[in-house]
Amino acid sequence: MNSTHLAHPLPTTNRFSFPRSTRPQHPPHSISFRTRPAPFHIRSALNGTLSDTTSVAMSLYDLLGIPETGSLLEIKQAYKQLARKYHPDVSPPELVEENTQRFIQVQEAYETLSDPRRRALYDHHVASGLHLAFAARRNGRFDEEMGDRFEWKDRWESQLSELKRRSVQKESADGMSWGARMRRERNGVQ
Amino acid sequence: MAEPAYTVASDSEAAGEDKTSSPLPEIAIGIDIGTSQCSVAVWSGSGVELIRNTRNQKLMRSYVTFKHEIPAGGVSNQLAHEYEMLSGAAIFNIKRLVGRVDTDPVVHASKCLPFLVQTLNIGVRPFIAALVKNMWRSTTPEEVLAIFLIELKTMAELRLKRPVRSVVLTVPVSFSRFQLTRVERACAMAGLQVLRLMPEPTAVALLYAQQQQNAHENMSSGSEKIAVIFNMGAGFSDVAVSATAGGVSQIKALAGNAVGGEDILLNTMRHLLPDMDSHFSTRGIEEITRMGLLRVATQDAIHKLSSQSIVQIDIDLGGKKICKVLDREEFEQVNREIFEKCESLIKQCLHDAKVEIGDISDVILVGGCSNIPMLQKIVTGVCQKDPYTGINPLEAAVRGAALEGALASGVNDPFGSLDLLTIQATPLSIGVRADGNSFIPIIHQNTTTPVRRDMIFTTVHDNQTEALIIIYEGDRKSVEKNHLLGYFKITGIPPAPKGVPEINICLDIDASNVLRAFAGVIMPGAQNPAAPVMEVRMPTVDDGHGWCAEALNATYGSTLDLVTVQKKGAH
Repeated sequence: MNSTHLAHPLPTTNRFSFPRSTRPQHPPHSISFRTRPAPFHIRSALNGTLSDTTSVAMSLYDLLGIPETGSLLEIKQAYKQLARKYHPDVSPPELVEENTQRFIQVQEAYETLSDPRRRALYDHHVASGLHLAFAARRNGRFDEEMGDRFEWKDRWESQLSELKRRSVQKESADGMSWGARMRRERNGVQ
Repeated sequence: MAEPAYTVASDSEAAGEDKTSSPLPEIAIGIDIGTSQCSVAVWSGSGVELIRNTRNQKLMRSYVTFKHEIPAGGVSNQLAHEYEMLSGAAIFNIKRLVGRVDTDPVVHASKCLPFLVQTLNIGVRPFIAALVKNMWRSTTPEEVLAIFLIELKTMAELRLKRPVRSVVLTVPVSFSRFQLTRVERACAMAGLQVLRLMPEPTAVALLYAQQQQNAHENMSSGSEKIAVIFNMGAGFSDVAVSATAGGVSQIKALAGNAVGGEDILLNTMRHLLPDMDSHFSTRGIEEITRMGLLRVATQDAIHKLSSQSIVQIDIDLGGKKICKVLDREEFEQVNREIFEKCESLIKQCLHDAKVEIGDISDVILVGGCSNIPMLQKIVTGVCQKDPYTGINPLEAAVRGAALEGALASGVNDPFGSLDLLTIQATPLSIGVRADGNSFIPIIHQNTTTPVRRDMIFTTVHDNQTEALIIIYEGDRKSVEKNHLLGYFKITGIPPAPKGVPEINICLDIDASNVLRAFAGVIMPGAQNPAAPVMEVRMPTVDDGHGWCAEALNATYGSTLDLVTVQKKGAH
C-alpha cells in the first residue's frame, strides 16, 4: 500500500482520501451504561452550540458541571462521568465527530483543574477579569503566553475545522474506499 | 488443519482499506502475539473465553517453520521435539524484528538466534532467512506475523463457526507508529481488519477495571483505584499506571522498552559460554544446532531458578562441554543491568503519572517473566505492595484484548459486565525537527487521546519560500534517536525577512488513533493563510526509511529549516 496520503490543496476534490475511521460503521450501539443524570446546567450548556464556542462564555467549571469550590474528587468524578458520555469509543457513529470535540474540551478542563498549580493560576486569571474563559480558546489549553494569539488562533482553528469537515463530508459521500468500490463493481459484473 | 490457508491478500489494499465498509456487528476477537507465545480470545456472551487449538493448547509458541514449500506456524504445527525449533528452519522472536532497520541494536541482539539475521548497517530492513534444505529462504517479519495470524484466525473460526474479520491486537508500549503500520500490514495480509492496537498493559488495565467493576457493583463508583501494571515478556517490558473508577480505566502514563526475557537468556548464555559470539559467527548447520542446544539448556535452567535456588547445567556442544552449577544469586548478578532497567522503567512511569507510592491500590505483574523472583522483588520494593493475584499473568493481555474487541464491536451486556471504557494516552511524544537538529514535541508523551495540539514556527533564512516539515516520534532530544514518521514540504511562503512568516503545525490524533499533520503559513496582519493548508496522514515513510533522514540532510542542509516561535507547549 502506498501509505502516503498526498497532501492536497484545500479546494480541490480528493479521491484518495482515506476513511477517517478505523472502526467499522456498525449500527448505533447502545452500551448500557448506568447513566446518572448529569446536573441540569451541564446538559444545557453542552447541548448548546458547541461548534460555536467563541460566542458562549463557559468556564472550565461549567464545562465539568461542578461549582468553583469543587473538590478534586468531584472533578475526577465529573470527568469520568463525562468521559463515559462523550468518549468516541462509547459514542454512536453519527455523533463521534461532535463528541470527540466535547471530550477534548472536557479533557482539557480536567487537566487544568486537577492540577492544583494550574487550577490556582486559572482561578487567579478569572478573578482578575482577564478574558480567559474556556470559550476563548477552542482547544481550551491554559497557557499565559497565548493571550495575544487567541484571535489569530481562532481564525486558524476555524480553517482547520473547515478542512477537516470537508474531508469528512467527502468521505461520507463516497462512503467507501477505492478497493471497496472496485470490488463492488467487480461483484456487480458477475 | 490439513491445509494451511496461506494466502496473502493484495498488498495495495493493506492498512487503511475497507475499515468503514463492514456492516457486520460481529464480535472482534482479541489476539496477543507475543515474542515467544501467542493466544486468541473472544467475548462469549458472559465472559472471555480463550480459544484452544486442536491440541487443546491455549498458549501457542510464536514461530514459523519453513521446512516444506508451505510454511507452518506454531498454532497448527506440532514440533517433534523442542530442538526442531532450533534447526535453522524455524523463525521466531519476530516481534522484536518487525519494523526495525539493520542499524537498530535490537536487531543486532537478534543475530544470536538460530536462523539468519544479517545486517549491513545502512538503515534498511535486515536480511532474515530460514535454513531450508541447506539453502537460505528469506522472509520478512510481516510475512511471519501474517502466518501466525492466519492460523489464529482459522482456529477462532473453527471454534466460533463463523468467519472472523476484525481483531483487537495487543502491541508493546515502545512500538512506534511506523512499527504499528507493519503490524497492520501483517493483519491485512492475513485478511484481518484491525479495530484497535492496544498497548499490552492497557489491555490488562481494562481487565482489571472489569474485575473492580464486578467486585464493587454495589459500592459507590467514586473511589478511584490506582493500578501499576508491569508486563515483561520475552521481547519487551511495558509499564502502565491507570486510574480506575466505575469501569472507566484512565491511562495516566505509559513506559516501555525492548528489554525482555530474551535479553536475560542471551546474557545467561554468554555467561555460560563467554566466547559464544565467535563460536557461532558462521551459520553452518553444526553451529546452528549447537546454538540451539545452548539456548534450550539455558532456558530450562532459568525456568528452574524461579522455583529452586540452584541448578546444574550440562551441555555437550560437540567438541566443547559446559558443566556448571548456577545459583540464583549468580544469575541475578549476571542480569543485574536488565533488572535495574526494569526498576527504572517502573519508577519513571510512576513519576510521569504523578502518582505517589502511597496512592497505589494494586500492583499487577504479568507476562512470561513475571515468575522471576527478582522481578517480583523489584516490583514489590518500588510499589511497597505485594503483587495482585486476581489475574492470570499469561492470559491477562489477551483477555483484555477480547474485552476491548467486544466493546469496539458495540456489544451490549445485560449484566453490565461491559460497562467499560479505556481512556488511552500516547506512549511516545510526537513532534517535528526544528531549531537545528532538535526534536520539538507538539503532542507530549502521556497525552490523553483523542487530541489536537499545535505550535508556531518560523523561517530561519531571509526570503525562505519553502519549509520541510519532518515528523518524528519518541522522547529523545536529537531527532536521529527518535522514529521518523514522515515528511512533507510546504511551499509558497511569501518572501519576507527571517522570523516573519508564521508557520503553524498542528498534530491531530483522532478517535481511531489516526495521526494527521496540518501545516499552514500566515503572514502577520493577513486574514488568510498565504499558502494552501497541507493535511497529511502519518506515517508516510516506508521501509528503508533509515536512508531518508540522512538523504534529506545531505540534499537540503538547513535551507528549509524551521525554528520555534513559541517554545512553550502544553506543559
